[in-house]
Amino acid sequence: MTDRIETHLGTTEEGQMAQEQANTSTTASDVAATSAEDSDAVRTSGGDPDDLNPVIIELENVNVYYDDFHAVSDVSLPIREREITAFIGPSGCGKSTVLRCLNRMNDLIESARVEGGVNYHGVDLYGPNIDPVEVRRRIGMVFQKPNPFPKSIYDNVAFGPKIAGYKGNMDDLVEQSLDRAALWDEVKDKLDESAYALSGGQQQRLCIARAIATSPDVVLMDEPASALDPIATLRIEELMYELKAEYTIIIVTHNMQQAGRVSDRTAFFSVDIQDDGERTGRLVEFSETATLFTTPEKQETEDYITGRFG
Amino acid sequence: MTHHEIEPRHHFDDELDEIRASLVDLGTMVLANIRWAGEVVVENRLDEVDAVVEADAPINEKYQELEEKVFHILALQQPVASDLRFLVVASRILYEMERSGDLAVNIVNSLERIHGIPADTTLQSSLDRLSAASATMFARGIEAIATMDPEIGLHAEAEDEETDNLTSDLFTAVTARQDELGLEASVALFYMGRFFERIADHGVNIAQNITFAVTAQFPEDY
Repeated sequence: MTDRIETHLGTTEEGQMAQEQANTSTTASDVAATSAEDSDAVRTSGGDPDDLNPVIIELENVNVYYDDFHAVSDVSLPIREREITAFIGPSGCGKSTVLRCLNRMNDLIESARVEGGVNYHGVDLYGPNIDPVEVRRRIGMVFQKPNPFPKSIYDNVAFGPKIAGYKGNMDDLVEQSLDRAALWDEVKDKLDESAYALSGGQQQRLCIARAIATSPDVVLMDEPASALDPIATLRIEELMYELKAEYTIIIVTHNMQQAGRVSDRTAFFSVDIQDDGERTGRLVEFSETATLFTTPEKQETEDYITGRFG
Repeated sequence: MTHHEIEPRHHFDDELDEIRASLVDLGTMVLANIRWAGEVVVENRLDEVDAVVEADAPINEKYQELEEKVFHILALQQPVASDLRFLVVASRILYEMERSGDLAVNIVNSLERIHGIPADTTLQSSLDRLSAASATMFARGIEAIATMDPEIGLHAEAEDEETDNLTSDLFTAVTARQDELGLEASVALFYMGRFFERIADHGVNIAQNITFAVTAQFPEDY
């Protein structure tokens, strides 16, 4: 069952059970959040519990190490379905490291070690029966620099589904994926041309089309617009807004304004410098974006978003 | 399959359109209450005073909801140029509308305090004309928002002279009858006149703010 993320997620019925399990944990955390006197918990839940989308990924006390180096300390937060969650914070705060935990990209770094729970639909992604390739099919990724393959536009999109053994009509899938990425009209007459002939903004939308071609339900974006000009950036943001009707999106950005424009919730990370110079990232505040940018709870957040620190 | 292209800031544009439509909705609610307050006063419908007062609650609710929405858009979307002017103006207009709604309540409360207006044709027709002119000026403000026509604000102050004149007329009529009206009723009538005049001023301010949002300049008489 190597093509399955885990055996019990294989059938629809059981997938639904896992979903219900995820919903149950949402309810439980909401109850905890609203009943707790601790204002952190209340803030973290945000909004009317009945209106909240279900939690799709739950991070529980996540710690990341590179050999002895403690890169990220004790991060817990829920990612909600069909929302855009932004990770912001100064360089070295661990926001990209945490993002990469969500689809096991840190596996590719030999010294990296992830502790704690990363639960996706209630299943621990670091559990013993988990196939990381299947994880990455369901939780796709778009990188900072547009990185299309040195192939045609068509093949860039068809590549993932092909190796995943897609049996349907590939032309339709390519068209559908390019259209969802709002690129179809610009490339429909040159599908056989090299992806490198496209502009940076188009290449990034191609990478988004490639990421969604394998039907993920979560798309991770690591600084997806930082190499683009302002208008291409706004196009990507508009696209993200459209995509969240079908996908859960998590974006890492250096650009706080971008987090404000696109995201529903924002996690602010900061970095502690130990006596020996070791820099460890930690989560400072996780709130609804509108709350974080108007009335942040922590002075540290206020100082960072107003540009006084960081 | 229908295909789509992506327009930058399409979602932001939708948000701005929504704010504008909501301003028109809120203005229409306030206008309805201003007109109602006018009828209640002119026709001495004391039994409807409480209903007019209660109708202000949903206005306040919508005002707060919109104020928060505008505040959040300002914080999150980094508006500039015409977008920035529109949102700053929207916040001011919300205030003008909320105040106008309160003035309608003040008017009917004044009526109740003096247990209705003495049957006097001159007084009643003076109030009738003043309340109608006041509502018309407020409606001009809403029209400016609905059309984003900067011309309305340019002429609003001059147009408002009618309300000012009708207010003076009312004051003259009240002064001439102050002995028979007594102090309390005279003062209440002065206040009502002043409230209607203020509502018209808010209508003028709304239209002038729209002129600023569109042209980046306030009318000279702002």
